[in-house]
Amino acid sequence: MSESMSVHPEVVTTHDVHHDEHGGGHHKETFISKYIFSMDHKTIGKQFLITGIIWAIVGGLFSVLFRLQLGYPDQSFPILETFFGHWAKGGQIQPEFYYALVTMHGTVLVFFVLTAGLSGTFANILIPLQIGARDMASPMLNMLSYWFFFLASVIMMSSLFIQTGPAAGGWTIYPPLSALGQASQGSKLGMDLWLVSMAMFIVSSLLGGLNYISTILNMRTKGMSMTRMPLTIWAMFFTAVLGVLSFPVLLSGAILLLFDRNLGTSFFLSDIVVNGEVLPNEGGSAILFQHLFWFLGHPEVYIILLPAMGMVSEIMSVNSRKPIFGYMAMLGSLFAIAILAFLVWAHHMFVTGLNPFLGSIFVLLTLLIAVPSAIKVFNWLTTLWRGNIRFTPAMLFAIGFVSLFISGGLTGIFLGNSTIDIHLHDTMFVVAHFHIVMGVASFFGMFAGVYHWFPKMFGRYLNSTLGYIHFWVTMVGAYLIFWPMHYEGLAGMPRRYLDKSGWVSFNQFGDLDKMITVVSIIVFAVQLMFVFNFFYSIFKGRKVTTQNPWGANTLEWTTPIRPGHGNWVGEIPEVHRWPYDYGKDGRDFIPQTEPIGANESKH
Amino acid sequence: MSTHFDPTQHISSSAAYPEVSFYEHTDDATFKKKVRKTTILLSVITIIELAIGLAIYTIHKGENPSALLVLMFKGAVCILTLAKAYYIVSVFMHLGDEIRNMIMTIVVPLMLFIWFIIAFIADGNSYKNLRNKYDKHFQESTMPAKHHSAEEKPADAGGKQ
Amino acid sequence: MATTANVHQTKWWSGGKSPFNMEYGKLMMWYFLMSDAFTFGAFLISYGSIRFSQNFWPDPNVVFNAFPGAGHANLPLAFVSVMTFILIISSVTMVLAVHAGHKGDKQAVVKWLAWTIVGGLAFLSCQAWEWHHLITGEHATLIDGQIKMVGQTTAVNPWGDLASASAVADALKNTSHETLVQLISSHDHSFSHEQLAGMSQEKLMSMVNAADLHIRENGPVAFGGYFYGITGFHGFHVFSGVVINIVMLIMTQKDIFQKRGHYLMIEKAGLYWHFVDLVWVFVFLCFYLI
Repeated sequence: MSESMSVHPEVVTTHDVHHDEHGGGHHKETFISKYIFSMDHKTIGKQFLITGIIWAIVGGLFSVLFRLQLGYPDQSFPILETFFGHWAKGGQIQPEFYYALVTMHGTVLVFFVLTAGLSGTFANILIPLQIGARDMASPMLNMLSYWFFFLASVIMMSSLFIQTGPAAGGWTIYPPLSALGQASQGSKLGMDLWLVSMAMFIVSSLLGGLNYISTILNMRTKGMSMTRMPLTIWAMFFTAVLGVLSFPVLLSGAILLLFDRNLGTSFFLSDIVVNGEVLPNEGGSAILFQHLFWFLGHPEVYIILLPAMGMVSEIMSVNSRKPIFGYMAMLGSLFAIAILAFLVWAHHMFVTGLNPFLGSIFVLLTLLIAVPSAIKVFNWLTTLWRGNIRFTPAMLFAIGFVSLFISGGLTGIFLGNSTIDIHLHDTMFVVAHFHIVMGVASFFGMFAGVYHWFPKMFGRYLNSTLGYIHFWVTMVGAYLIFWPMHYEGLAGMPRRYLDKSGWVSFNQFGDLDKMITVVSIIVFAVQLMFVFNFFYSIFKGRKVTTQNPWGANTLEWTTPIRPGHGNWVGEIPEVHRWPYDYGKDGRDFIPQTEPIGANESKH
Repeated sequence: MSTHFDPTQHISSSAAYPEVSFYEHTDDATFKKKVRKTTILLSVITIIELAIGLAIYTIHKGENPSALLVLMFKGAVCILTLAKAYYIVSVFMHLGDEIRNMIMTIVVPLMLFIWFIIAFIADGNSYKNLRNKYDKHFQESTMPAKHHSAEEKPADAGGKQ
Repeated sequence: MATTANVHQTKWWSGGKSPFNMEYGKLMMWYFLMSDAFTFGAFLISYGSIRFSQNFWPDPNVVFNAFPGAGHANLPLAFVSVMTFILIISSVTMVLAVHAGHKGDKQAVVKWLAWTIVGGLAFLSCQAWEWHHLITGEHATLIDGQIKMVGQTTAVNPWGDLASASAVADALKNTSHETLVQLISSHDHSFSHEQLAGMSQEKLMSMVNAADLHIRENGPVAFGGYFYGITGFHGFHVFSGVVINIVMLIMTQKDIFQKRGHYLMIEKAGLYWHFVDLVWVFVFLCFYLI
């Protein structure tokens, strides 16, 4: 009869009980179960973070190498030959090497650092802590999510060391170049490894995303209604939704591309002649791959950016000692961005032969993104306005994020118009635009998050002096590197070219390119300093002595300084208010766990 | 009583007053009846679909096949398929018995398919037109000849311009 | 007034319970299926995009007209309708298995799960036969000015437009002896294969009449790639569904769900199985009906 009805609530409770056991800490944990195959969301988050840091060093190093080529195209660096052998014959970066570097720089930073390293880290660490859950909905799948990411990392890393080198067709791996081994060195085994690695990565992101969504929906503590969640959690939620719905489309594209490469199908190939050889493939469409790629590729931009937005909102409110301005507007604009992210993909393809009329619809949809973006920017600025600002390193990075988001976002309006895009497409202008708005800005969000939640992660502080140096050099450096690229791009300088010295018109930019290269080396060195700060502080940093060092309202600061598996000792606290009651009724802050007072004012 | 700002007030009323529709089978007989009804319905729709498929085949075989008629039949099959999908999801997968918000979280993201399909198909079609215009070899080698209109025409009447 | 509103709000969304009254595993299964729907959706939409970019596309009624044991009889859509019904029926047995699980009726769960597995295996066998038939069943096709016997693969498609009689007559001159023998023996049964093989090229040429041959040109090759790619991916899902169901069957037999007090795992496996059926509905539409 109604047995099935009683089953459901029961299951929910057994699940809680199961986690309570963890909270009690009856388990005997070995080194392996605690640090390697850990099912604790905090440890998994740290695993993502540290793997992401390693990848960031690799990806950053690649950019330094190809910047050397771009800044000093005629110079010989014998040390490069020592390390890279025939890839840098005579101390000069060879074309194949250059393309491999550019491709892997993009792949590594977009997917492995800013997707897995950013949302993997902070979704894992923050979701259960900020919504008041003992752990993720399924700790087991959460662990698998990391290990699939690890597997993807191993495969991608191994592709760097094979004879023919890694994939080299650009991070967007457009066929036919990427589909034909005979077309380029980088389209041989390296490309297969790239595709397999990405398939593993997609599995990882799917397992993670499903977990984040069901945790946020199902595991909130009592009183934590959806609109009492910190904006970080909302951002992670939309990020996960974007990932769950868009990554499978890339998976389809990758599978079809693998078939084209290895089984002789013609999904993306038609009318091709390579080295004088006419290929039998016909009937495919290379534009189709671009559609499939960018159906993921554009949401991917927001997968990278939204977590940074969420963390910046939270950090900015905490350190301004003011409620976030326009909580519901922030939430609504996150939602609007998440929807628009799916509707605008073809603005990456205006000059591919896309139907121009279709293109104009994509222009319209693209420009609509300016609305929610502007709402967010003004809300951040008004949150800062007349705030009691504490300039911690985290806060500086959060403010830097807003600055970068504005300057990078404005150039997006140029590129989103198909007519202007005809001139700007594939120039350094594009490089400047997306590095500022998505690359560096997201990194700033990530740094803000690391500085802010480091005390929660490791029970120690990062060194602030190094933090300030890190911020100022990176901030100034980022603008020095990317701002001049706008001018280069407007003058028509193409991106992805090995050597532009053949064009007289670009000779005027020779010194500018040298300056960019020098600054990028300095900025890279400062990031290494941050990495040093990170690992040094894990072991030797100043210890956290109070439970709530930043005076924040959210739930993670009600846990012990070094929370065990299960997060809270005893009961999970109940939530009575939204997380942004700062500077209210003459009180500096009122934690979410505090019941509403009788005479409390409205805000 | 409380003057505290509760942002939940601003969510839609459907969130505040969910319809309590539990996953509930009142009794065996009703359930079995529902399953039987759905099975018969699915079978009938499938048979109609097959009949339409064969009708398209005969139209193609006949003299002067009407592209419009074929297109209409194809549209009908698409609608019938959506009906089938609806019954499978709502009855077999019990989505119809879930809380309305849950249904919405499944149905709303599926709306993305609308633009997904329109844009991909429109661009595929435009690719064909561009090639027919600028790639004469493509047009001559792939355009179906007119000399035997009695036999099969391109199945894809929708792609015709 | 505000308080009554709050009572209702705290009921579902205020935390401490699932707003959907659904345990997390089922929720994850639903959203996984959403994700998988986008994978299949991307495949099918790519197929649509390619199809719209072609001037000609084969009529499925012409391609899928064979039935096991029926020889060369023209039975359009017959076999695939059998496959479709197998999948629908296996979906029904899965519903009954899930229902039995809700009642905690172990024997019924085992019975219906077993039938579902049988249905899944039957479907896979049908698909294997269909693929085998399409790949190995050779058709005389006009390719590059000569007639060749080809099957449906990812590189060749024998279902193009009907070739004109004059083109066929020209092509016959360039056609190999072996192909001519095959061509004649498939229409004319008055000679044995050996007899035909012994005849000269000229003799064979005189025996065929280009006008009666109904030879097709090479069709769009993307047809094969998408057909095998998408039905293969669907078949892979059916296969994994069968494996999942077998695991469920073993777990049921070992009383694991009985001890757990609920059969929710069966329900999740059921969702997956119905999804496989659901995808087939669309594959059926895109490849066989329109």
